[in-house]
Amino acid sequence: MDLEEIKKLIKLVEKSGIKELEIEEGGKKIRITKSDGEGYYAPQPGNYVPLQAHHLIPPAQASAPATDEAGKAPAEDKYHQVKSPMVGTFYSSPAADAAPFVKEGDMVSAGQTLCIIEAMKLMNEIESDVSGRIVKILPENGAPVEYGETLFKVEPL
Amino acid sequence: MFKKILIANRGEIALRIIRACREMGIRTVAAHSTADANSLPVRMADQAVCIGPAEASKSYLSVPALISAAEVTRCDAVHPGYGFLSENAGFAEVCGECNITFIGPSPESIRLMGNKSVARETAVKAGVPVVPGSDGPLESDEAAVEAAARIEYPVILKASAGGGGRGMRIVHDESELLNSLKLVQAEAGAAFGDKTIYMEKYITSPRHIEIQVLGDKHGNIVHLYERDCSIQRRHQKIIEEAPSGALDQALREKMTAAALSLAKHINYHSAGTFEFLLDSKGRFYFMEMNTRVQVEHPVTEMITDVDIIKEQINIAFGLPISFKQHDVSIFGHSIECRVNAEDPEKFIPSIGTITELHFPGGLGVRIDSSIYQGYKIPSNYDSMIGKVIVHAHTRTEAIHRMRRALWEFHISGIKTTVPLLLKIMHSEEFVSGEISTRFIEDFLSRHGTHKNPV
Repeated sequence: MDLEEIKKLIKLVEKSGIKELEIEEGGKKIRITKSDGEGYYAPQPGNYVPLQAHHLIPPAQASAPATDEAGKAPAEDKYHQVKSPMVGTFYSSPAADAAPFVKEGDMVSAGQTLCIIEAMKLMNEIESDVSGRIVKILPENGAPVEYGETLFKVEPL
Repeated sequence: MFKKILIANRGEIALRIIRACREMGIRTVAAHSTADANSLPVRMADQAVCIGPAEASKSYLSVPALISAAEVTRCDAVHPGYGFLSENAGFAEVCGECNITFIGPSPESIRLMGNKSVARETAVKAGVPVVPGSDGPLESDEAAVEAAARIEYPVILKASAGGGGRGMRIVHDESELLNSLKLVQAEAGAAFGDKTIYMEKYITSPRHIEIQVLGDKHGNIVHLYERDCSIQRRHQKIIEEAPSGALDQALREKMTAAALSLAKHINYHSAGTFEFLLDSKGRFYFMEMNTRVQVEHPVTEMITDVDIIKEQINIAFGLPISFKQHDVSIFGHSIECRVNAEDPEKFIPSIGTITELHFPGGLGVRIDSSIYQGYKIPSNYDSMIGKVIVHAHTRTEAIHRMRRALWEFHISGIKTTVPLLLKIMHSEEFVSGEISTRFIEDFLSRHGTHKNPV
């Protein structure tokens, strides 16, 4: 395993949804772990300015809007947000090799299953509460989601 | 050691756990409701996961939400804090099934000592004195009448599934008995989902003395001496201290021995507290056990220099207790005052935003609180916003230190019980040390409403 190969592997891990990759070859072993941006930081001493929250995903429910949301065009606000009713793992398809329930651009009706959220080994089908067009699917397949997190932006009919 | 711990709680105890984990190099995940999204523990933890809406039943009391949060963040342990699911054997069991270590005792211990009347029976079997009472739950009205006659009035009816001072009723004579029984059964059914009631002799003006113990998974059990928690309002503790002025060395030895005997009898591990009533003649009776860390654990930490949360984490991981009984002794005196966001005269919860905040500091002053300037107190949870703890060489010095700390404590935007606490600290009654569970009731009736705290 030479340096070039290792660099390629690092790029591969970075770009993919892989969190950790371990390869053993001819007695040599390499493990590459993707950092999820956690790090220790020192809280500001004696400073009452609230600290940065290292949320699982930037919070959709915090009273102060996350900067990326605030920076978006006002047009975004007209979209209906389908939010997660529970904390768990987001799956876009009913099974690993199956087609996703919906794609961006699809028309959906109220009550249609949009995704699955798995919690404690139970698969929960999440249904759309409105009819309309899927404008954006926010979480990646297999990503953890929290209660209240926006999963889909739908342009209602 | 654990890599990551999920904190299944909120407020000051969540912060307490984060601090211990931080010092131990353990990552923390703050599981929180929407109402706590801007809380200090959420900001301080390495990660935060919103698990549900403000209602505790859908968030902090939701086993699936908490387990799911632990799974998606890949935590290997959960610390339940106090209250919420900390004494829920079912939760402890599910954690085990999902390969997440519950930082607390075994589900069996929780089950055994969580049922108050079973706990009494267990104490009797372990040779620990209990308050004279019905042998087990009251099976019928007739049984209640017979038990009361045998025990002698006044008696107290208690819910087996109760705790924290709820689901109780004092009965002074036979004419009140059956009516009170119906009322307490209804209360118990509504509050705990279990109408089983048992009866005890009601000891007038007792002291509430509790013994802190720690057990590990290797069979070692130690005690960390006592706490005196007699100052209570409607069975909610307000002021606690360690050690207790009511215990001389002989009595201390008897009570700690009783606690250890009971802990060993049930093979207990993790932190636990045995609560006793002490009557005016120096007789003590086992009342109940709390199979979790308690709100007032800091006063014990101050006099023994033991970090109870770190010990809990080590014990849960399978390490032995970090010291032996002979290594720990009482040093000085500690007092804790619980500060509630309440009107200090009417005790109505005070909700609002904290516009100004200054915590006291200095030698021997410890603040366990998660409030900050600008914080908006959510209305969905209990009103305790922090604890002021002092430690000094003597009780007298501790009282002076607490007076100074409460005087220095400044908070605007909400009302707190600090003025009442100050008044108590300056009172002859408290200084005299002649304290019983009647203290607050007598104090408030004697001093009435006050306008100008000292």
